[in-house]
Amino acid sequence: MSAIAYLRRYWQLYALLVLPLTYFIIFKYGPMYGIQIAFKDFNFFQGIHRSEWIGFEAFREVFGMRDFYLTLRNTLMLNFLDLLVSFPAPLILAILLYELKAVWFKKLSQTILYIPHFISWVIIGGIVYQVFGTESGMVNNLLMSLGFEAVPFLTDKSDWLITYLLVGVWQSAGWGTIIYLAALTGINKELFEAAGIDGAGRLKRIWHITLPGLKPTIVVLLIINLGHMISIGFERPYVIGNLAVREYSDVLSTFVYRIGIESGQYTLATVVGLFQAVVGLIFVLGANYTSKKLTDESIL
Amino acid sequence: MFRNMKRKRYTGTKRSLLLLVLICSLLFTACSSKNEPNAAEGANGGTSEKPVTLKIEVFDRGNSPAGYTITDNYWTKWIGENFGKPNNIDVKYVPVPRSEEVEKLNVLMASGSDVPDIVFTYDPNTFNRYAKQGGLTDLGPLLDEHGPNLKQFLGEDVLSYGQFEGTQYAIPAKRSNLGKYASFIRKDWLDKLSLPVPQTTDELYETLKAFKEKDPGELGGQVIPLGMTIASAQYEPLIWSFIKSVSEEERYTLTQQLGSNDYPILLPGFKDALQFMNKLYNEGLISKDFGLDKDKKKLGEDISNGKVGFFSEDDINIYYENGSYDLLQKNVKGAEIAAVDVYTNDEGKHAKPKYAPNGLYIMIPKSSERAVEAIKYLDWMASGDNLFTIQNGIEGENYTLVDDIPVAVENQTEEALNRMYNAGDMAIISNGKQLGSLEKNLKARALQMPKQFHEQVAVAQQIANADTIDPVLMDRPIEAQTKYATTLLDKFNEIIVKMTMAKPDQFESIYETMIKDYMASGGQAILDERTEVYKEMQSK
Repeated sequence: MSAIAYLRRYWQLYALLVLPLTYFIIFKYGPMYGIQIAFKDFNFFQGIHRSEWIGFEAFREVFGMRDFYLTLRNTLMLNFLDLLVSFPAPLILAILLYELKAVWFKKLSQTILYIPHFISWVIIGGIVYQVFGTESGMVNNLLMSLGFEAVPFLTDKSDWLITYLLVGVWQSAGWGTIIYLAALTGINKELFEAAGIDGAGRLKRIWHITLPGLKPTIVVLLIINLGHMISIGFERPYVIGNLAVREYSDVLSTFVYRIGIESGQYTLATVVGLFQAVVGLIFVLGANYTSKKLTDESIL
Repeated sequence: MFRNMKRKRYTGTKRSLLLLVLICSLLFTACSSKNEPNAAEGANGGTSEKPVTLKIEVFDRGNSPAGYTITDNYWTKWIGENFGKPNNIDVKYVPVPRSEEVEKLNVLMASGSDVPDIVFTYDPNTFNRYAKQGGLTDLGPLLDEHGPNLKQFLGEDVLSYGQFEGTQYAIPAKRSNLGKYASFIRKDWLDKLSLPVPQTTDELYETLKAFKEKDPGELGGQVIPLGMTIASAQYEPLIWSFIKSVSEEERYTLTQQLGSNDYPILLPGFKDALQFMNKLYNEGLISKDFGLDKDKKKLGEDISNGKVGFFSEDDINIYYENGSYDLLQKNVKGAEIAAVDVYTNDEGKHAKPKYAPNGLYIMIPKSSERAVEAIKYLDWMASGDNLFTIQNGIEGENYTLVDDIPVAVENQTEEALNRMYNAGDMAIISNGKQLGSLEKNLKARALQMPKQFHEQVAVAQQIANADTIDPVLMDRPIEAQTKYATTLLDKFNEIIVKMTMAKPDQFESIYETMIKDYMASGGQAILDERTEVYKEMQSK
């Protein structure tokens, strides 16, 4: 088929792509023009173009800041712990839901589990402070009325870490099940029946059928998550964090906010952003490569 | 299914790839903001020439009453009528949320073409940065030509705060009253325990202990003897009273100005202050959650619920209608708060900081083509009765004159009340009412409060103006402060919280690491630069 005939036949498919492509070009590639801020002494009265080049000076400055290493460590630590705690949670939940027989109960619990995902972090932050405050929080009021000591959920750094992680699970686990549940519908029901006839119990069936069926999905999600190791959302650590636990709660995104938006040092903020992007790319490619070698599952 | 996954993942990668553009895209989107429809266009019948448009920033506190918006209300109309029409100027307002003034202003300034002709900020570092980057109009010649009333109103002293390396890049607003803080105690608790009003910090400590042990409010363990937050009004009076007397050189070099306040972190006595707070905390005399209370909201609730025995606060803050004292009296029968001056320094004085004579830094961006009109606007505000009218409203409806001092009319109509909701934010050339003398200004300030508090407000104001410490004014802006202030202010607050909450045996070691971190994160740079500038000032 000649190129013209090919295009004439399939042009609609390409036309469909125009909109998403435009979106990516305008909102994702266009702003890359701004990367050069990292290499310039950016002065917003001059604009990007007319600001002076300074080479890697800003990088030297950022890599010399103590807060950079602290926030980098915290970002990696919070993300790694999140991966340990929050990653398996939706998987387990999805399997539990899948095993349920009563459809109405399954639907109901799914809905209840999704809801936290739709609450903004600012509101969750407010709720967390009402519930876990040391002196006036509901949980501590209960503990104290039962004669226990108050637990500084929000002001002691180790306790705060646990609060942070569990709130994350509460917020995201339900939503995360959607992908697994969708994947589970793809597993042939006959496999379960056959296994049942051969005498496999519920746990055996989960182990030998459900989990292998979910393996590609798990691997893909794991790779995506690893790609995000170096980047962290702004709202969750910013809203749940506080001065007493800043040692743990100050992360790269709050650091960028502070030096960029609050102090107006856009050059330094861009350097940190660029650094995150480059390391993030390395993580994704690395995870993908490893996964390809080990399990033959990969996304590139 | 798997294909779906693929798609999702691409989005994900791209997002991580492009996180850095968060900042850049912010700059980009900023350009497309703000383009309000012009309702007044062409409505100017009297003159044949097309009116020029003057855009002015205005703080939006989100409190517009029904029928008004922050860009269209009684005062915008009044100004349009009295200033705009005669001068053939179409005055427009550009709202900026009060709580994020610096962030939003940065975005506005970066947008270039859409920036208002008059912008302002409370943050001297933001002003210094704009001036240094060459983004502001030199106002000196303009003031000479078009602002005689304004110059006279502000005076040399106030105007000098708006200079950057000798050039008048900002017009500082004038404060009508420089007092900041007073302290407050539950008088009824003292009476119940037959205790005298504490006169010194040591006596205060004993009183706080008595509040905790004897629980005069019958709160059953919920009592908060000392109301503390991580806002400056609560910790500054305490901390500054521990600062020892120092030589002039030390005062200039060891003070660190982060934002608009001076911070005593390097001054002798700072550690003692923290140690005192640590003692109070570990003995249960401060709220366990004080480090979470940045906006004083929790403190306000605790005061109005009658849990707090003693606290420091901006002198008149508790006296507003439906403010914490008003609510306390409704919640707790017989509750009484007395304004007191307690924290005492090594000289026996109740030392506490006061404001610099300037408020807002009013600036005209270099890109503005309406600098002349902008100065005319400010000059108009400073001339005749204009400022007085904006600040006080209409005689008979909003106020009556008693001994030349405007007194708020009781039971004003809703229309009259609504009129005044943004008066303070329209009168940008002044912080507080200006009546010609400090005495009158203070009196007018007290008289705007509910009647039953008039006398006490006067006492609190007197306290706020007693034994005050002047802010340190350096000859030229300290660049390191401009650069590190935000980061260091965060660290300063962190130091207060962590040192207060530290276990007593860990106090020393934590203090040392935290100060070291503070110094390495910019504190040392500020110290070095201030020392250098001080030397220059001496050799002059």
